[in-house]
Amino acid sequence: MQYAILRKERFNDFIARLSEIQKLVAPVSKGYNNFAFEEVTTGDEIALKYIPTILPAKKFFLPRRETLLEFNDAKGANAEASVEYEPVTLFGLHTCDLSGIQCLNMVFSERPKDYNYITRKNKIILIGLECNEYCDEYASCHLVNASFPSGGYDLFFTDLGDYYVVHVNTPAGDEIIDKTESFEKAEVYQMNELKNLRDHKRKIFINEVPIDRSRIPELFDLSFSARVWKELEERCLACGNCTNVCPTCYCFDIIDEIGLNMKQGVRYRVWDSCQLEPFAKVAGGINFRKERSARQRHRYYRKFSYPVERFSRFFCTGCGRCTRTCMAGISLKETLNELIKESEDRVWRRWL
Amino acid sequence: MKKPRVAFFDFACCEGCQLQVANMGEAVLDIIGLIDVVEWREVMSEKWNGKLDVAIVEGSITDPHAVERIKQIRKRSKIVVALGSCATIGGVNGMKNNYVLDEIRQYVYGNSYQFFPTEATKAVHQVVKVDYFVNGCPVYIPELVAVLKAVLHGIPYDVPDYPVCVECKLNENVCMYDRKVACLGPVTRAGCNSWCINNGNICYGCRGMVSNPNEKGAQDVIAKYNISMDLIVNKMNMYNKCREIG
Amino acid sequence: MEKVVIINSSYRLKKAKILSTKKLTEKEKFFEIALSDGERIDHEPGQFVMISLLGIGEVPISVCSSPLIRDSFDICVRAVGKVTNSLHKLKRGSEIGIRGPYGKGFPIRMLEGNDLLIIAGGLGLAPLRSLITYVLDSRRDFGRVHILFGCKEPKELLFRDELEQWSERTDLHYACTVDRADADWAGNVGVITTLIPGVDIEPARTFAAIVGPPVMYNFVIKELLNKGIPENQIYLSFERHMKCGNGKCGRCQIQNLYCCQDGPVFNYEKIKNMSEAF
Ligand SMILES: Cc1cc2nc3c(=O)[nH]c(=O)nc-3n(C[C@H](O)[C@H](O)[C@H](O)COP(=O)(O)OP(=O)(O)OC[C@H]3O[C@@H](n4cnc5c(N)ncnc54)[C@H](O)[C@@H]3O)c2cc1C
Ligand code: SF4
Ligand code: SF4
Ligand code: FES
Repeated sequence: MQYAILRKERFNDFIARLSEIQKLVAPVSKGYNNFAFEEVTTGDEIALKYIPTILPAKKFFLPRRETLLEFNDAKGANAEASVEYEPVTLFGLHTCDLSGIQCLNMVFSERPKDYNYITRKNKIILIGLECNEYCDEYASCHLVNASFPSGGYDLFFTDLGDYYVVHVNTPAGDEIIDKTESFEKAEVYQMNELKNLRDHKRKIFINEVPIDRSRIPELFDLSFSARVWKELEERCLACGNCTNVCPTCYCFDIIDEIGLNMKQGVRYRVWDSCQLEPFAKVAGGINFRKERSARQRHRYYRKFSYPVERFSRFFCTGCGRCTRTCMAGISLKETLNELIKESEDRVWRRWL
Repeated sequence: MKKPRVAFFDFACCEGCQLQVANMGEAVLDIIGLIDVVEWREVMSEKWNGKLDVAIVEGSITDPHAVERIKQIRKRSKIVVALGSCATIGGVNGMKNNYVLDEIRQYVYGNSYQFFPTEATKAVHQVVKVDYFVNGCPVYIPELVAVLKAVLHGIPYDVPDYPVCVECKLNENVCMYDRKVACLGPVTRAGCNSWCINNGNICYGCRGMVSNPNEKGAQDVIAKYNISMDLIVNKMNMYNKCREIG
Repeated sequence: MEKVVIINSSYRLKKAKILSTKKLTEKEKFFEIALSDGERIDHEPGQFVMISLLGIGEVPISVCSSPLIRDSFDICVRAVGKVTNSLHKLKRGSEIGIRGPYGKGFPIRMLEGNDLLIIAGGLGLAPLRSLITYVLDSRRDFGRVHILFGCKEPKELLFRDELEQWSERTDLHYACTVDRADADWAGNVGVITTLIPGVDIEPARTFAAIVGPPVMYNFVIKELLNKGIPENQIYLSFERHMKCGNGKCGRCQIQNLYCCQDGPVFNYEKIKNMSEAF
């Protein structure tokens, strides 16, 4: 079965059954138009209309803190490498967040492979949920080709009024359809409605920034010493919010912790951020990205330039989290607009 | 291995941080088992005048007598730990630096103020060398435990040099700025696991500022959020006044 | 929560023993290390290992011995912080953890048959000692060899005995300078660039290998280019903050390159336009 139908009146029933299979996580409201992926057991808890959550789903793939090694005797080098994981189903991921997970998959599967990540990833079921329209004005998912589903999920839900049409993408997805016993076969007219929605979406989802997607790497090739970065120097507080909330930022620190008996302990990793003061400091006090402008530039290049060379993919999913979270009001779309304007100025000047 | 000799000393402060230590519960018992406490006014009457391995100092230095006393403590201690905001950054005591000193003395001691010498409030490291800092008002117990472990282990403890926002985001709190409330998280050193915000309060900056804060940027943000500048200056001063002494 | 052991985790440690230690200067100490199960680290000159002290941390340190010594390897560590100070306290026989070797070293195969100009500033001599000892042990595979070494003060000179030997050898040209002399110093005084004009090289067949503090690179490279050494015959090694060694944690990134995997040794031509590199 490639497509299935879930009638809305059966939704709560479906969620209840789904949560019985294994831990179920979905977007819930935290107030003040903030949302978070948290454990749910009933459909009522889920915020089906939500803007991207405070933290993206990466927190389940690359936990904020994760043990890498455990040891019982700090003297010596006897340590065991293990991974702790919890089988979990994530429900309601937008296409931007699915795209973010695809990015992380590439990074951590590349050699040398990260088995902590891979082990955990294989225990997570992903259920997507289509955005029929923009979540808010901060999103730029179309620019980076993440506004339509393109794999990376087991099931994918599209809301078509009285029912969801559900794309079954993997055997694991099939199993959920069987086990929850809530689905019907998709009829031709329902498939047509799905097609109509997608046609409609193609009209409303347009490039949020006036540049052809394929020209973005070139734009960045020209922009290393752009004025924009200098302007960010004065505004950015170097709080690291933009990277912590980004679904494709994965930098981490590694720290040792020892028990009171000075014997057993762990080596763990925690999320880190290129925006923070100590990130690029080395012994002797030299900081290779002392200026906040250089750190901001690094962030943008890690979205739109460097990964294109390595993985042929933008590491921005257009989710808009970095813009929403920045109290200094630094906006991804504005920055890109500025870069475009500046590069056009430069091209014009060449002709004058 | 001989247990290290440890003593607690208090200067100008509310002694709340020592209380935190006393309230550490099980962790304190474990730590007490590893050390030999020779002086601790809060919980015991003994005094000790000999050499110390570790002196844990609470409170800020506010008068010449205190300067002399802390210098003596430094001299007979291998390691000095500053405990709590008063000791690490001057803390609330620093607020008196907002006023002309004589005014304060008059205010506190009335007409006979000239008999009570006082000077600008200083954090402990502004008077003697400090080896370990436990920031916060009061100190955050898990961090205190981490510092004590570092002391016992003989390795440095680096106070995080990034803002509270980092921990706050990792805790997935709704940002205070989204609630239109001023918060000092963006310029205050982390290490408290965003304790206050987790409990619905704003960050008051009790841990002191990060080493390279964008103060101008922070002011712009506050202005943008229509938050009174005075309010924030007051909050900042509440703990950070001593920073200006250098 | 479930838990599985990961046998092939890239964070797993190899056990190693400290065979001997030697104080080189006030701040630098030398360690001879052997992997415990008779394994060999099999490194290239210029590569580094992660040295692990459980409960304290892990630091990247260059291997400073020749790859031709098979049953042990050397490191030279400057005490600057948490891990390095603790390492200095360890005695012969202590067990430590090792990961690696990591990264790309000097391209020895390519250097063979050519002249070498090796330039070390301060602690940069550590990774270069690996190259130098290799070259000296397979001396006939190389053309002329020049070694220039500079440091701040005479008391910071590393590997004094070896420096002495090098200066006495007739099959290589060795020169040394200090920024500030002391009463006993009879040698050159001045920054390392002052030594370069004096070396007699055939630029077209000379490869340069440089390791030193960041400030040194711009000046030294300018001198080398002045001498006519082609850009793609200059190799240099960068120090960046490193945590994972696997090209993941992001700490060591120089624009699109990861110093831990793509470096630390880079060809100058490939990185000359990267402003984050210098
Ligand atoms: C490829 C490479 C090769 C190196 N080879 C040598 C060598 O042969 N001998 C030697 O003595 N040193 C070498 N270093 C430097 C050495 O790694 C650092 O001095 C060491 O990591 C400091 O750790 P610490 O715990 O003692 O200091 P900390 O207490 O952690 O910090 C002291 C200072 O060192 C910086 N630092 C901390 N961790 C690192 C890190 N992982 N990488 C770089 N800087 C760091 C901190 O930002 C801080 O400024 C090398 C570094 C690199 C990247
Ligand atoms: S969220 Fe904004 S202020 Fe904070 S580091 Fe990112 S760009 Fe700077
Ligand atoms: S850079 Fe910003 S918009 Fe792009 S994926 Fe990251 S948080 Fe989302
Ligand atoms: S050290 Fe982690 S990416 Fe290079």
